[in-house]
Amino acid sequence: MFRIADLESSIDTQSNLFTLIIHLSLILFMAFTIQWKPKNPYFAEVELWEAIPTKTAENQMTPIKELDVEKQVTKKEIVKEIPKQADVDAEIILKKKKEKIKKLQEELLKQEQIKQLQERLLNEEKSKRIEKEKLEKLQEMLRSEEVNQKSDRIAIQADKDVEAGVNSGELDKYKALIQQKIQQNVNNNLCGTDYISLDFEIKLLPSGELLSDPVLKKSSKNPSCDEAVERAIFISEPLPVPTDPKLFAKLKQLRLKFYPNGQPE
Amino acid sequence: MTQLIKTLIFIILISLHSLAKAIEVIDILGGKAGEIAIAVLPFEGDGSEKDIKFNEIVKADLERSGFFRAIKTDGINNIPKDIKDIDYSYWTALKAELAIVGKVEKNDTQVKVTWDLVDIFKQKLITTMEYVGNPSQGRLIGHRISNLVYEKVTGTPGVFHTKIGYVKKFDDKKYTLNISDLDGFNAKAVVTSTQPIISTRWSPDGKKIAYVSFEKKKPVIFVQDLSTGERKLVANFKGNNSAPAWSPDSKQLALVLTYNEFSQIYVMNADGSDIKRLMRSRYIDTEPAWAPDGQSIYFTSDRGGGPQIYNINLDDKEIKRITFEGKYNVSPRLTPDGKFMTFITQEGGKLKVAAQNLKSNQVLKLTKGPNDESPVFAPNGHMVLFTLKNSGNTSKIGTVSLNGFKFVPIEVGANLIQEPTWSPFDF
Amino acid sequence: MKKKILLTALVALLFAGCSSTPINDAPAPSAAAGSGNEGLDLDLLRSDSLLTQRSIYFDFNKYEVKAEYQDIVNAHAKYIADHPNAKATLKGHADYHGSHEYNLALGQKRSVSVKDVMNLKGASDSQIETVSFGEEEANQNCQGSQCDKDRRVDISYDVE
Repeated sequence: MFRIADLESSIDTQSNLFTLIIHLSLILFMAFTIQWKPKNPYFAEVELWEAIPTKTAENQMTPIKELDVEKQVTKKEIVKEIPKQADVDAEIILKKKKEKIKKLQEELLKQEQIKQLQERLLNEEKSKRIEKEKLEKLQEMLRSEEVNQKSDRIAIQADKDVEAGVNSGELDKYKALIQQKIQQNVNNNLCGTDYISLDFEIKLLPSGELLSDPVLKKSSKNPSCDEAVERAIFISEPLPVPTDPKLFAKLKQLRLKFYPNGQPE
Repeated sequence: MTQLIKTLIFIILISLHSLAKAIEVIDILGGKAGEIAIAVLPFEGDGSEKDIKFNEIVKADLERSGFFRAIKTDGINNIPKDIKDIDYSYWTALKAELAIVGKVEKNDTQVKVTWDLVDIFKQKLITTMEYVGNPSQGRLIGHRISNLVYEKVTGTPGVFHTKIGYVKKFDDKKYTLNISDLDGFNAKAVVTSTQPIISTRWSPDGKKIAYVSFEKKKPVIFVQDLSTGERKLVANFKGNNSAPAWSPDSKQLALVLTYNEFSQIYVMNADGSDIKRLMRSRYIDTEPAWAPDGQSIYFTSDRGGGPQIYNINLDDKEIKRITFEGKYNVSPRLTPDGKFMTFITQEGGKLKVAAQNLKSNQVLKLTKGPNDESPVFAPNGHMVLFTLKNSGNTSKIGTVSLNGFKFVPIEVGANLIQEPTWSPFDF
Repeated sequence: MKKKILLTALVALLFAGCSSTPINDAPAPSAAAGSGNEGLDLDLLRSDSLLTQRSIYFDFNKYEVKAEYQDIVNAHAKYIADHPNAKATLKGHADYHGSHEYNLALGQKRSVSVKDVMNLKGASDSQIETVSFGEEEANQNCQGSQCDKDRRVDISYDVE
């Protein structure tokens, strides 16, 4: 079937979201359209026809076809553009993925309608044949989806490789800058002398300012000390944050753990 | 169907696992003792002279404590008098963290003060109050404002309304024992003598003051009622009578007698009756100070070679040594919660005020000397009142914050000012 | 039975006599010279080279009588021992460094120290009173060796 191992590597939220939605939609698709177990394997159903049935519209095939076409097109694009600037094109890839997701959601709706049509069919052989065909199509789709997943991964991996040396170092650098700026404003006068600690969570705007008031997640048990540390956060606005949106995204929500009197040696 | 469900769950879990991401954590260690920037704005309708304006009283009080730094408010137009008048961006630009605004209504019979304490960062009201009093209570109202602001921010009640006692020596061999506000205002003499007065001690119930007088050509102990002015000679035994120390319930006094021998510690009722020797030694034992729980007494003794501070348990009479740093440690006094002791220590040939954490035994020097003496804690334990002798020429009193960072003198005149005592919260 | 009560009463009286409750009133050190000045040999007090020296000086934070002052102390001790009517007061002092109360105790220790030396030479406690003024008469402006003279015991006689 589809390889579970493929799901394990993930690079960023969008790709993960995409992965999740793909699989969920697939599951739903399979759940609703495929009969996993034949209803009555040992009894044949006989339909009594008064006349020879006319050919019903086989619309259910079309969507899959479209999907196929779509995927093939993008697959070509991706393969072409890797040697160039993977960075910029990662954006395009992501945008396309978004479009795919949107299309998938539209497809899901269509699947609902198909299900209703399905129920009309009474002929078992016909349904069997349809099912068989569907299975084949599904496998084909999954295979191509696998390939696409793989190429998406290659693209994103390339992305990552370019930034690799810079990305984690940059993150640490900004974390250190933020830590330094706040630490020099911590007034521990109201925090006694014991080795206490307290935690705040903050949300930041790209300007480095607070989106909202800091949230106390763990109190020092001394409200005056909690308030003094919260003031230190306010005084430190605007916090030094990166301009690069991807890097900023990792820092826009932070958990700050304070030890106003330091820690024991 | 179950096969489907199992696979479904498995897939969802795997997907979620790859989705789950902890937010970044930053550890911030340490900090420094700083002062909270507060804008104490002139109150509307406050027509007083500069020194006695309400905001000036509050500013001086809060700055004395060492926890606050007042932002300059001179030359500001459109002074807000109410929280709704506050332009937060203006005060944020001035780096104010808190602000106090208010209004005063005064007539011949009463003064009414309404005020707000505002959090500038969060743009919200912390507290608002209205105080009414007769016109002569203006300074007291100012101190009450300081007390409440202090309590809201630090979690500890303020002491700005309390009183102090001190001895003033005039040039012509005249000594007075004076009582004044903490900031030195409203001073008056309660004892006048031609002989020295030392070791003043305000009783914990606020009603009396004990002191040592040399008027009988040797040291003797008096207890004086502060409301009536009546004084009683409670100790005039053979030899010296000195170092009175109130028990926490104000019912007893520890004291020092000599009887042709070295100074030794006794305990008696506050009226002078039923005196008992506390302990016997061949050394100097002096300067008793009760622990606030009434279970033990701290004292100075030279049994270790030089003066050090010890503690005796009143139950089993077990004696423990308390000070171990340096060769000269005298004059112990305790915080109301019994956790800290202030005393005088000699370092580098200079006598300095120190504070010791009685649990960790960590010692912090609060002053630089060279001749500091007679430290006593504020009723909230956050400040120490003491005497500074500058090269013997003058001596004055002042307060220092418990972390030693903020010293503020108390202006009560140019003469030799010594031997201070601090009233309790209620008196 | 009666004997027992008498015995108990006697024992009680004995204990009462040994009670450590001090006497409440103390005469001021400068008492009047009651029974006249006979046998006090005032001329000797006023002329003798050693007896005219009334101050013993001490090192910082110290209370032992230094060797150079032993002769003076001994001379006064002999005088007191020889004149049972003489009453002396030893008034201890300290310089202004340090706490008032500790200086009071230090001054006291110095005067007791002088008294102890006198006791060795036969002067009895009943003729000597020790008091202290601590730093209360010291020069509050002294610098360095100027403060030396504040660390002393003054010997005075009630008769003077």
